Amino acid sequence: MNEQLQQALMDRLVAMADDEVILGHRDSEWTGHAPILEEDIAIANIAQDELGHALIWYELAEPYTGNDADSMAFFRDARQFRNVQMVELPNGDWAFTMLRQYLFDAYEMALLTRLMTSQYAPLAEAAEKIRREEIYHFRHSSIWVERLGLGTEESHARMQRALDHLWPYALQLFRPMPLDAHLVEAGFFPDPDQLQTAWQDVVLPHLKNADLTPPDAEPIYAHRHHHTEHLVDLLADMQLVARSIPKAVW
Amino acid sequence: MTRDTQWPRWEVFKQDRPDRPHEAVGTVHAPDADVALLNARDVYVRRPSCYSLWVAPESAVFKMTAYELETTPNWWKEDLPEEAPEETYHIFNKQTQRRSMVAVTHVGNIQARSSREALRKAIDSGQFVEKIAYMWWVVPESAITRSNEEDVPSMFEPAEDKTYRDQSYYTGSVFARRSQRRPEDIRLS
Repeated sequence: MNEQLQQALMDRLVAMADDEVILGHRDSEWTGHAPILEEDIAIANIAQDELGHALIWYELAEPYTGNDADSMAFFRDARQFRNVQMVELPNGDWAFTMLRQYLFDAYEMALLTRLMTSQYAPLAEAAEKIRREEIYHFRHSSIWVERLGLGTEESHARMQRALDHLWPYALQLFRPMPLDAHLVEAGFFPDPDQLQTAWQDVVLPHLKNADLTPPDAEPIYAHRHHHTEHLVDLLADMQLVARSIPKAVW
Repeated sequence: MTRDTQWPRWEVFKQDRPDRPHEAVGTVHAPDADVALLNARDVYVRRPSCYSLWVAPESAVFKMTAYELETTPNWWKEDLPEEAPEETYHIFNKQTQRRSMVAVTHVGNIQARSSREALRKAIDSGQFVEKIAYMWWVVPESAITRSNEEDVPSMFEPAEDKTYRDQSYYTGSVFARRSQRRPEDIRLS
């Protein structure tokens, strides 16, 4: 593997891990607050799964970053994170959280399905393992998009409002990273454009069936090193304990 | 008057392995059967082994304890139209007090025209109980929603790989394995 390919691989692995760890943290904020006990358990479960996936991606990146998963998650500052902005936005209401989860789960399903045939074997193996849990996440969030979209006038209005807000952010998931071309050429990672097409083929009909319409808005096409102010607050909370007692043994 | 905003309750039946019977492990609230199945997975199968889940609306489950059977004269009597169609009814009962987490266990099914008739036939047949049944449940086939075999890899199998499957895993050693690093040790490109 040449140096540029290695760098490209590391960038992508860290980006995937950062997406999962930040989304997992947002999901975990619902613990004890979700609208009904069963969903409280479900979202805590999904949060843990996402953190578990982040751990897998960080560990795959470790030979290249030189840092273990804890260092990556707890001892980097906001400007060093490479997650998309969608996952760092505050949770809002249940509609917003479920719709974000749905848009992200659909992206992960499209991505993992393609990574299973990646020419980089560790990526293919991890994708196969993670995809099993993602099938379940996707089923859960799909059901909620449908139920809330077709539920009451209020639930529909909340879902549409969430979609108007989230849609431009979701498109950032498909912005190529600077070195992606090397990964695509090596057959390590799918072409982001094809990924977006595959995602839209799933998401658009489902949203339509749920009576929801994506807004005609400009995508938020930021680089992954640009963040909203919300990431700083999130990290302050997420990293507090680890940074207070860096040598603690649990 | 306060409006009841709770979703309906569903009984959850879990089968640990293909060669084991389904067991009633508890209830979940859900607006419909599909959500009930997902909630059942999250509440009852996050860590334990599972091969199949059934859910049924609590209102569709006919329950009688041994005490109720003894103290309710003519409990089997009901106005049933002669031409009422037969259906499959699943019979569950509790024959041991040992397993406190399980309400009742699936012991078979029977053709009948109602839950009451199914229970009477089940008791009369003598083939669903060895010594004593403390409790009987009857569930019509039409009330049950099942997980599919294709659901096993995504819904149940991931639990098997989890480190923290039950309390005995919390020994401290798993946590201690990961070394802690100081911020100044971190290199980032």
